[in-house]
Amino acid sequence: MMKQLCAVFLVTALALGAAEEKIAPLGTYKPAERNYWAFQPRKKVAPPAVAGVRNPVDAFIADGLRKVGLRSAPTANKETLIRRVTFDLTGLPPTPAEIKAFVQDQSPKAWENLVDRLLASPRYGEQWGRHWLDVVRFAESDGYEYDMHRPDAYRFRDYVVQSFNDDKPYNQFVKEQLAGDELDASNEILMVASGFNRLGPLRKNAGNQDVASSRNEVLTEMTNVVGSAFLGVTVGCSRCHDHKFDPFRQSDYYRLQGFFAQTHDNDLIRASADEQAAYKATVDPLTTEIRQLQFKMRRAPEEEKGKIQTQLDVLDEKMPLPLTAIYAVKNDVKKVSPLHLLFKGDYLQPLDAVGTRPLGILLPEGTPESPATGEKPRTRLAEWVTDPANPLTARVMVNRVWQYHFGRGIVSTPNDFGRMGGKPSNPELLDYLANTFVENGWKLKPIHRMILLSNSYKQASESPIEKLAMEKDAENALVWKFSRRRLEAEEIRDAMLSASGRLNGKYGGHSVLIPISQDLVKMLKRPQYWVATKDKSEYDRRTMYMIYKRNLILPYMGVFDAPDLQSSCPRREQATHAPQALELLNGQLSNDLAKSFADRLAESAKTDAERVDQAWWLAVGRAPTLKEKQLTLKYLQEKPGDPLRLKEMALDVFNLNAFLYVN
Amino acid sequence: MLIRPHVRYPRTRREMLTDCFCGFGTLAMAGMAGADLARSAPAKFNPLAPKAPHEPANAKAKSVIFLFMAGGPSHLETFDPKPLLNKLDGQKRPAEFGNIQYQNVNAQSRILGTKRTFKKYGKSGIEISDLFPHQAEIADDLCVIRSMHGDMVVHSAAQYQMMTGRVIPGFPAMGSWVVYGLGSEAENLPAYVVMPDSHGAQEAGVPMYTNGFLPSVYQPTMFRPGEKPVLNLDLPKGVSLDERKRSIKLLRDLNESGMGEDLEFAARMSAYETAFKMQTEAPKVFDLNTETKETLDMYGVGNPLTDDYGRRCLMARRMVENGVRFVCVVSGGGGPEAEWDAHNDIEDNHLRMASWTDKPVAALIKDLKRKGLLDSTIVMWGGEFGRSPESEKSKGRDHHNTGFSMWMAGGGFKGGTVYGATDDIGLKAIEKPVHFRDLHTTVLHQLGLNQDALSFMHLGRKERLTEVRGEVLKEIIS
Repeated sequence: MMKQLCAVFLVTALALGAAEEKIAPLGTYKPAERNYWAFQPRKKVAPPAVAGVRNPVDAFIADGLRKVGLRSAPTANKETLIRRVTFDLTGLPPTPAEIKAFVQDQSPKAWENLVDRLLASPRYGEQWGRHWLDVVRFAESDGYEYDMHRPDAYRFRDYVVQSFNDDKPYNQFVKEQLAGDELDASNEILMVASGFNRLGPLRKNAGNQDVASSRNEVLTEMTNVVGSAFLGVTVGCSRCHDHKFDPFRQSDYYRLQGFFAQTHDNDLIRASADEQAAYKATVDPLTTEIRQLQFKMRRAPEEEKGKIQTQLDVLDEKMPLPLTAIYAVKNDVKKVSPLHLLFKGDYLQPLDAVGTRPLGILLPEGTPESPATGEKPRTRLAEWVTDPANPLTARVMVNRVWQYHFGRGIVSTPNDFGRMGGKPSNPELLDYLANTFVENGWKLKPIHRMILLSNSYKQASESPIEKLAMEKDAENALVWKFSRRRLEAEEIRDAMLSASGRLNGKYGGHSVLIPISQDLVKMLKRPQYWVATKDKSEYDRRTMYMIYKRNLILPYMGVFDAPDLQSSCPRREQATHAPQALELLNGQLSNDLAKSFADRLAESAKTDAERVDQAWWLAVGRAPTLKEKQLTLKYLQEKPGDPLRLKEMALDVFNLNAFLYVN
Repeated sequence: MLIRPHVRYPRTRREMLTDCFCGFGTLAMAGMAGADLARSAPAKFNPLAPKAPHEPANAKAKSVIFLFMAGGPSHLETFDPKPLLNKLDGQKRPAEFGNIQYQNVNAQSRILGTKRTFKKYGKSGIEISDLFPHQAEIADDLCVIRSMHGDMVVHSAAQYQMMTGRVIPGFPAMGSWVVYGLGSEAENLPAYVVMPDSHGAQEAGVPMYTNGFLPSVYQPTMFRPGEKPVLNLDLPKGVSLDERKRSIKLLRDLNESGMGEDLEFAARMSAYETAFKMQTEAPKVFDLNTETKETLDMYGVGNPLTDDYGRRCLMARRMVENGVRFVCVVSGGGGPEAEWDAHNDIEDNHLRMASWTDKPVAALIKDLKRKGLLDSTIVMWGGEFGRSPESEKSKGRDHHNTGFSMWMAGGGFKGGTVYGATDDIGLKAIEKPVHFRDLHTTVLHQLGLNQDALSFMHLGRKERLTEVRGEVLKEIIS
């Protein structure tokens, strides 16, 4: 009832010209709210003086540990280190040759050279770009009912990978994504970047299209990700009411949304003339037929409407995938969405009107809003986000970097620096890293380098004072050892492909659809979209090039905690459960790759002993221990020369803790 | 507001170690093999171990079976008789009933009378239409809610709300929440099972059934059609059980050889033990051949019309019998004509859908009852919305979210009752309206779970199934 009353009110208000529309107050922020650590300017901090410590990261870590009576673990061995850092920076295992070369390299610069080589590898952009794609909930389909594919979404993925490889300054990276189209609409790369604003799920449905509701959902997606990805705050919570824990008023939310009020989709067709002609040849007759049927529908007697609708549905399903295009955005000031506070976030219940303004808590009291019709609104937003004085942006990004290196952020909740999130375990270190990041022109590689060259990163994953340390800091927030981690879903598959010698290392381009069980395809409302890629060599490409489809997460991905692609994923879970074991023991993927791995071992080594050695070097990155070798040889020699035994052994190696975890 | 920490699945190895050291410590580690360790460990260690409900006194039920009628079955043809409809047939909706938003029907649409006839059944005299002669036989077990309403009038969003409490994807489904709250009592079976309709998908797709931001251990197992419903339970081609036993022994030996005392690796090994046991034990539960002919007949197994849904309902009974926590048996998928989505012809569509499901549904209730399982099992019947009093395309009915029917049975719900009412044409729920969140709250309540305590921190928000608080429907529970 309330909804309808308000809708009536809205219509009336519009009819009257809405001249008397009330503007929402600008909001006031108490000193206690302003004094919260995350909204305070970054402190100028110098690394504490610790005897014999030169790396700033080590100084902060040592100081933090000393305060609670802990100390660092000794340095890990070289085999462990090269495996750790190679997975960390590239998502792939080191080759046996790389391991041996590093182990034998006695130069004092061996580690530094290794780090530099990996940072320069184009695999770095794939691995760290994939992290960013998690954060911005990148997917290659719309989600919801039709889950229509976005066949050109790969352009955004490749843009991200390239940006990381180029070590593009982060402030520029943010600006390009928020406002690439405003920066230079003639630059294709920037237009691809602006597709960031379209990454969220998109609802389309049959019948009466409720345009206002859909627009509201689109704007919500555009707004919330600014909070979670760039600012690390849950401003999305204030969509329906003032934030319960953090100083974000509902008016802040809609003023933030104001920056997107003019933003609309802009598909830049990139198909060849021939393709466009062929597309037209298919689509035009369909469109004509649809128009005729729609015309007929309007005049048809009620009894015939059902039949016509069925014909329309059939035609709709025949529509080909859209022409290849760049998914960009543009401003259209004629189609600016009127912005109001919405009662409980309901678009049918508008309250006070708002313009645009960044978050009030980070502005002087009483900062006025600007009209939503202003020029280049997203550039203005991006400039505020990347202003060196913005206390959140740099902290949030260096914290993400820290988290991916150490498994836990200095703030343990990378998307939430608010009161419900974690407190920084080492606030001085966080500010030091963030300051350095900004001072060095927002470049990430120097930050990686500083971290990776520290002794803190090179610690073993076991500490001689484990028991004491667990009592004082069970989460290892202070980094008294290196936290062992399980490989992520993509890394597990890539490592199996790598060990079996099948990895197709091709970079970028269209995503791959592998042939999958019809049972899975049938769970899609539109199964016809799942058309396997023709070129079979593509099936062995890195996992990040397999399609990320919202309504069909491949089983091996889901079971190993891949993100659900619906909302920002700041950190992958690391669950342990039986379906993982079933997937790796009985699944088609692991068995198929185990077969190839076994074939490779059989071909390249003559004796079982050599095969076992090689299996460990390829998959685990070291020689087998004496015990491991004895056990495995015994197993193989129970049935000498049996290819099944060798394959089962290869499968066992893929199931080893030593394979699935990085120390 | 005080944030009460719920018994939470440890999200990282470090958190798990913390939990374990605080909970039962390293001493239990000594001399214990992985599987024993996992069995004797507290819930914090094994996320699927059974957990005590928040409010044991309320816990009437242990399991839930949701008979999901996808597409939106008509309340007007099933459980909500409206004689006025037939009188108004062909006329415009009288103004006094007000207005609502529809997907397709508009101001020009005319009221559509129903061809179904209603009668009172059982001691309770609940009115049920002749579409469901078999469900009429279990009238006294049903608690019919005639005043359901949701917020969305399109399939995908309405299905998300019904399953997850939210109109957008990305939130955990009821089944995931319940397993998160109570763990599993089925060591060799998945804790949460969805049996999709073999005709195809529903609009909201797999995301409506999944764990959203809850850890992946709470994801549903999507059954496949046929005799091997669970993926990866079969050994790969060419590998015998003996051969596999031997290779798993090698795996265990190898992992143990480098392990030392390590709780995370112990948990991993116990996951392998469980996986292996599932492989040998679960197929026995899936095998319907052990049922008597009488039972098979009761569910309509063997009859081409009812065979599919009958098998799945029978399977659902076998699941809860073996401790599975949540089972969703889907009717409808692949498009309007194989769903309850009767846009074109309500008679044609609903007669077909009823012919596939009515008998199995009734059989499930009877069977659970005679096995003594109905008291501890909540059975829910319904879809994401009902259907419009006006006609669409002359013989069909449009989506309708402002007033429709669902029913509950077992699990402490009062059989033989009718709750709430719609207006005289079934347009709006006017008496004791029940939102999906109220239904969710009540289901959780009957399982001994508290809607506030059953929460999970996600992106700075303490998320729960009911989002904003739902009401416990006290009148329909005992």
